[in-house]
Amino acid sequence: MSVRVLDPTVDTAPAKAGATTRLKSLAGRTIGLLDNGKINVRPLLDHMDMILRSQYGVRDVVRLRKPDFSRPAPAPVLAAMQGCDAVISAVGD
Amino acid sequence: MSRSRYSTMATQELQSAIYELADAVDVNELYQQNGWTDGLPIVPPTEERVREFLDAAGLAPMDIIGVESVRQRPISAEKAAINAVMAGCLPNYMPVVVSVLRAMCVAEYNVHGSTASTGGSAPFIVVNGPIRTTLGMNATHGVLGNGNRANATIGRAIRLVLINVLGCIPGQIDRSTLGHPGKLTFCLAEDEEDSPWIPLAQERGVPAGASAVTVMAAEAPRQVMNEWTHDPEEIAETIAAEIRHNMLTYSVWAGNYALIIAKQLRDLFVAAGWHKHDIREYVYRSARVLRRDWATVGKGNIVARGGGPDQEFTALRSPDDLLVIAAGGPAGGFAAVVPPWYGAKSLAVTQVIGPAQGDQ
Repeated sequence: MSVRVLDPTVDTAPAKAGATTRLKSLAGRTIGLLDNGKINVRPLLDHMDMILRSQYGVRDVVRLRKPDFSRPAPAPVLAAMQGCDAVISAVGD
Repeated sequence: MSRSRYSTMATQELQSAIYELADAVDVNELYQQNGWTDGLPIVPPTEERVREFLDAAGLAPMDIIGVESVRQRPISAEKAAINAVMAGCLPNYMPVVVSVLRAMCVAEYNVHGSTASTGGSAPFIVVNGPIRTTLGMNATHGVLGNGNRANATIGRAIRLVLINVLGCIPGQIDRSTLGHPGKLTFCLAEDEEDSPWIPLAQERGVPAGASAVTVMAAEAPRQVMNEWTHDPEEIAETIAAEIRHNMLTYSVWAGNYALIIAKQLRDLFVAAGWHKHDIREYVYRSARVLRRDWATVGKGNIVARGGGPDQEFTALRSPDDLLVIAAGGPAGGFAAVVPPWYGAKSLAVTQVIGPAQGDQ
């Protein structure tokens, strides 16, 4: 006699998620820098802002900020990302 | 015997993959190897048992109990039932488990933030109303400890859902640095019979006679003792001191604190004519620290920041932030402070136990 049991888990990979195409170069691109609200993120992103422009030829850097690091980015912040070629989300703990 | 009432539900197919194994020992070994437990053994979630649990909650397998909004993860009734069986619940615990999950999916609870954080909190569950006695829950001896099936397995069922449905696996979505023992289970009933105070759920708007759960993302309980006075202000001051200590050594931010007061201290408050709101008012006034106090606990480097050394912080945003719970054994001048995970980033949520809106 055997026992039949059910799987307690769900498929952890969201159906619509997938890796996007990588940028070949950052030159002339618009890059978003998402400040997640952690205490040390600003100096980290200030530095990245500088090197993205000076060393990688990034045209524009869009500074974005989440009001609360433990909640999702609100709609206006997500909308502002739409104009970026790529967004870097930083932790800065 | 109640199956016929849910005949439509009972006919909906279970969706989960099925594994066929020799016996319960083999089932446990498979689930342990796959990381589908909290480390302790599980009860085999058979189709028959899972259906019993769904029937007990009046739910169909694909009913959605709630959605974790950050990663958009729905919690289906079927998965909740499977995990409740595994935790060792009885079928009639299922409405409590469902209500806790519903409460945790309310936005203010912030289930993703509180379960993913390095802070390592756990859902602290308080059950009120007649269902406590129906399920034989413990509200007295060792109420924060071991010994009662419903207390132990309801809390454990929530943890297994977090692991298996929301992916809160330590080192993966769950980034707890330390965690605490309440992450295995952290559930109690209020001692409504042996307290003249208004039960927690009623204070939070649930009608008398209804059953409800209150859930809060909490750190480990901090036990205090004062057996050297009958003065309610002195007892309340011992409690406030522990909260101040938590503010200085752990997190200063104001939010919900829970306070569990066992019988001996409760009787002294009651004899002095104090109700729960008197305790809340006292703690609100007294559980405050100044930024300069951080210098006394090795955090002098942040005294000059923010509003400077005289900046005042309160533990509670208002007296109502303190959840006062009558529970614990009869002897000993003990109480326990249950601190919030991270100020008001997660708030306590109270949910009536019963059919959800739209059910039936």
